[in-house]
Amino acid sequence: MCVECGCGKSIPFGVKVLSVLAPSLLRPRPATEPAGAGPTMVTPPLASSQTIEVHASLLAKNDDAAGRNRALFSQRRMLALNLVSSPGAGKTTLLSRTLDEFGGETPCAVVVGDLETDNDARRLHRPHVPVAQITTGTACHLDADMVGRGVSALDLAGVRVLFIENVGNLVCPAAFDLGEAVRVVLLSAAEGEDKPLKYPPIFKSAHLVLLTKTDVARVLGFDCAVAADNIRRVAPQAKLIQLSARSGEGLPEWYDFLRTHLPPR
Amino acid sequence: MHEVGIMESALALVQRQVTAHRASRADRVVLRIGTLAGVEPESLRFAFDVVSRGTVAEGATLEIESVPAAAYCPTCQQEFAVETGFIFICTGCGDLCGEIRRGRELELSRIEMS
Ligand SMILES: Nc1nc2c(ncn2[C@@H]2O[C@H](COP(=O)(O)OP(=O)(O)O)[C@@H](O)[C@H]2O)c(=O)[nH]1
Ligand SMILES: [Mg+2]
Ligand SMILES: [Zn+2]
Repeated sequence: MCVECGCGKSIPFGVKVLSVLAPSLLRPRPATEPAGAGPTMVTPPLASSQTIEVHASLLAKNDDAAGRNRALFSQRRMLALNLVSSPGAGKTTLLSRTLDEFGGETPCAVVVGDLETDNDARRLHRPHVPVAQITTGTACHLDADMVGRGVSALDLAGVRVLFIENVGNLVCPAAFDLGEAVRVVLLSAAEGEDKPLKYPPIFKSAHLVLLTKTDVARVLGFDCAVAADNIRRVAPQAKLIQLSARSGEGLPEWYDFLRTHLPPR
Repeated sequence: MHEVGIMESALALVQRQVTAHRASRADRVVLRIGTLAGVEPESLRFAFDVVSRGTVAEGATLEIESVPAAAYCPTCQQEFAVETGFIFICTGCGDLCGEIRRGRELELSRIEMS
């Protein structure tokens, strides 16, 4: 299942996944006797079939929680960003450097999601930066409720920017609004230039696309111009910044973006 | 993976509706899924088979209506359907358009119950 959705973790569809099902849905129906089991069977009168129009969003619960997060962020005059990419595109590395440089002038906080381990939270930990790790277990994306709980564990006094590092996955996070003001999708030079064409929903939902690891583009034979063109065609609504968290190229533009999107106090 | 969670939401709604209408089971569940929703119909079917077991929707027919994407061109001030692919080019002026008007739907449309 997880392989299908692109999050890359091969979990046999068994006990682990079942454990996320609502218990009420797992409750077995009372055993009924097989049809035609004789005169003892009590058959309820068959109600006539009816069609009910529902038209309800399947994401209503998440969207409600996202709305609560958004209200909290705006009340605190905080800029919340949701960072999404394939595993290894450089989210944690970029955030680490951002916390050291940009975070020195502007108080930041981080909520980071991973399937397992708190490695990223430890990499991001700084004395001046509150960090909450969310381990999602089998869920291949963060949802708004998880973020809400992560945020409530943090001391947000004075914090102006909240970075939400999503689980490495270009498919599942697309549908889940976390209450962020800015959705950032990262594509690294270690991936294919055509990734935006292969995963259009997430790129179409981006406000900002970061083309990362530009320092290794040349040696990897990655053509940044082709990738940028693909991004522009699939996601013309998004701003594009090319950067390297290693060489520092493009980082001033990234910090400028953050500054200009800070909500006024 | 998230198809399971989405299907759980759908079945919770189905359960509520079936109870509210004093029916005993769902025979057909119809979903509307946009082509930009980031959800695979095949994964949804698989999730339905697993998650519906032991619920009022066990054995029901799952119907998935696909909602094609539509975009809006601010220059021509018109909405246009996106026939193929994910690169939205205005049929009027040929500009690339980023404003999505339809295609993100993820909803429980209707239920046939008895
Ligand atoms: N050359 C180069 N490597 C990078 C850069 N950013 C991240 N990496 C490397 O890419 C790998 C994955 O990075 P990480 O930040 O953990 O990715 P995440 O999974 O998106 O959080 C690590 O080995 C990083 O050192 C970069 O700008 N340039
Ligand atoms: Mg990381
Ligand atoms: Zn036009």
